[in-house]
Amino acid sequence: MTILARLEQWKEQGALSAEQHAQLSGLACGEPFSLFVELNVLLYAGVLAFVGGLGWTVSTWSRQIGDVLVLAVLTAILGACFWYCFSRAAAWCPAATSSPSLVFDYVLYLGSLTWSVEIAYIENRFHLLSGQWDLYLLATTGLFFFLAYRFDNRFVLSLALSSLAGWFGLTISRWPRHEDATYRQYAVLYSLVVGLGGTLLRQRGWKPHFFNTYLNVVANVLFWALLSGVFQHEGYGIWFLALLLACGLSLAWGLTQRQFAFVAYAAVYGYIGVSSLLLRHVTDSNGVFAYFEITGVAMLLMLVLIARRFGRQA
Amino acid sequence: MSVYGAAAEETMRARRFLKDWAGEGFLNEAQYQRLEQETVSGLRTTNIFLRIVLFFFTLVIVGSAAGLFFAPFLLRPSQQATALLFVVFAAVCYAGAEGVVSQARLYRFGIEEAFAVSSVGFLCAGIGVALLSNGNSPKPEATGFLISAAGAILSLWIWHRFGLPYAFLGAMIFVIFLPAYWTSSHSAQHVIVAAFYAVGLAAVAAARSSHRFDYLDDAYSLVEALLWLGVYLAINLQLSSLDLLPRLWSGTAASAEFSRPFFWITWVLTWCLPPIALTRGVRRKDRFVIAVGAVIAVLTLVTNKPYLGWPRHTWDPMLLGIVLSAVALFIRRWLARGPGGVRHGFTAERNSGRFKQWMDAGATVIGLAAPQAIAPTPQPASPDHGFGGGDSGGGGASSDY
Repeated sequence: MTILARLEQWKEQGALSAEQHAQLSGLACGEPFSLFVELNVLLYAGVLAFVGGLGWTVSTWSRQIGDVLVLAVLTAILGACFWYCFSRAAAWCPAATSSPSLVFDYVLYLGSLTWSVEIAYIENRFHLLSGQWDLYLLATTGLFFFLAYRFDNRFVLSLALSSLAGWFGLTISRWPRHEDATYRQYAVLYSLVVGLGGTLLRQRGWKPHFFNTYLNVVANVLFWALLSGVFQHEGYGIWFLALLLACGLSLAWGLTQRQFAFVAYAAVYGYIGVSSLLLRHVTDSNGVFAYFEITGVAMLLMLVLIARRFGRQA
Repeated sequence: MSVYGAAAEETMRARRFLKDWAGEGFLNEAQYQRLEQETVSGLRTTNIFLRIVLFFFTLVIVGSAAGLFFAPFLLRPSQQATALLFVVFAAVCYAGAEGVVSQARLYRFGIEEAFAVSSVGFLCAGIGVALLSNGNSPKPEATGFLISAAGAILSLWIWHRFGLPYAFLGAMIFVIFLPAYWTSSHSAQHVIVAAFYAVGLAAVAAARSSHRFDYLDDAYSLVEALLWLGVYLAINLQLSSLDLLPRLWSGTAASAEFSRPFFWITWVLTWCLPPIALTRGVRRKDRFVIAVGAVIAVLTLVTNKPYLGWPRHTWDPMLLGIVLSAVALFIRRWLARGPGGVRHGFTAERNSGRFKQWMDAGATVIGLAAPQAIAPTPQPASPDHGFGGGDSGGGGASSDY
């Protein structure tokens, strides 16, 4: 029975009103067909392409164009974006608020990215802070956090978390091949600071819907850092214990909050960490295969139990 | 001939609609609970995260089981026995996929998917080892052809049987390697691959016509979008080359290895396909086809200069960004001016809870990926140095100027 036939049946049974039936039948047939996602993606891609080209042009032609013109253009874009956002936004509210318009979030995103370009240009040309990029990153982080919370914008919150990671000397996607204790410590510290900050802001009721973004970033950075510690040949014990603790917390959080991404993090990161430790000195291929067979089955059974416990029969 | 049956597939589709409508407030909680009870299929499904992890661990189990079986053979290499074992493993994995679906009623659960995917891998490995054994192997192109053909056929069957869209994508990838057996001409290979996809497109379009609002329409929608993309990638000579990135960067054309008429015909086709795909997507209100139409339109704009051999300019991305944003704004404004914000059955407003989830998930992923763009780079010490580096934060805005 198709969805349209079911809707008809539910209307006849009185489970749906005639208005609901008309509305839901239309939606099931794509009437009206929403282009909401497509327009958002177009705007996001447009902003990214524009800022990418802006940075490329400025870096290539700055000498021919001249500092004054470059800064004037960048400042004009920046000013226009922030003027638009501050003049259009409603009064601040700690709860989740919707954007005044479809383009609002992307104008704010454009302004934030333009700020990054302008700051980078100023320091590279004039060395106002004598090359102390950390200070720029810190200031940028502060600005982005302010903008994210002022305008309830997840894109800018992501930029803020990225900038903070940069300030900590950390780049998640360019994790160094060779473990570096300093990077690892910074990564753990970053996770603690972001996690604690996110928790405090959530407890104060300031944009509590951002908390999930904080947690996902924290969980991935922390697990990568702990795993890199476990992969060391010496002094890995403390990192292994920390990994087990983190896995336990992630699993508990995922199950209690029904956020199964954290169950997945605990299962995969934990399995990789434990396996790397147990197989460190195993050279027999049969032993390795047997290990993966037995532990794989055990993990699968555990996950199936979780899925059966928390999933529903459809 | 879906393993689940049309009734179960329709029920699962109805449940997805109900969840979406309840999330968006079109159904109240009591209605949702009641209607959900009426849409029980008996299938067992799970969320995307557990599905991925279950897929991963099933692959670990299958791989290690194969390793345990093959270890003795690897000590005393016997390629015929190894090939036979691979094929047996393929059969066992496929039977496993069918078994867990029929016995445990798993639906998009990860386990049956991993079994099905493994069966394709083992079959291809088995055919490859069998053909290379005993020194009587045919030429490499024939081996590749048989592996690709078997992989494509089994992948298509798995898509048909289990409804896994990525199995169809796998079949399309296998098809890419088929023409090398028939011809060494690159032009002919492009044409053959495009022809395969075009035939598939025609077949899917014909099959869809009788499934306007049922579950198969959803399944065919994604497949049709993949085929449109496949046809486009096969004919766009600037994209289907190994030295793609350097060529796009330098703006040089890939004309040397192709005849001029063929080269310019493909250029014309790269401009013809996007409007055709977009028109079809809009007329059918097909989200995936519209998305692919938009993507290939952008790809046409991006690859046009390399096609024509024109030099790239640093402001080209700015122009592209302006065009994309202007198009989005124009469409939004045009739709908003219609009665109730609707024109010709289209609206710019959100009418599904899924859209918000997609946007939130997208923002979080960007949060995880964006640090790459702010990687701290050593700063130039000399004031004469150009505007280089930049690590002041902001995805995409600051590195390597």
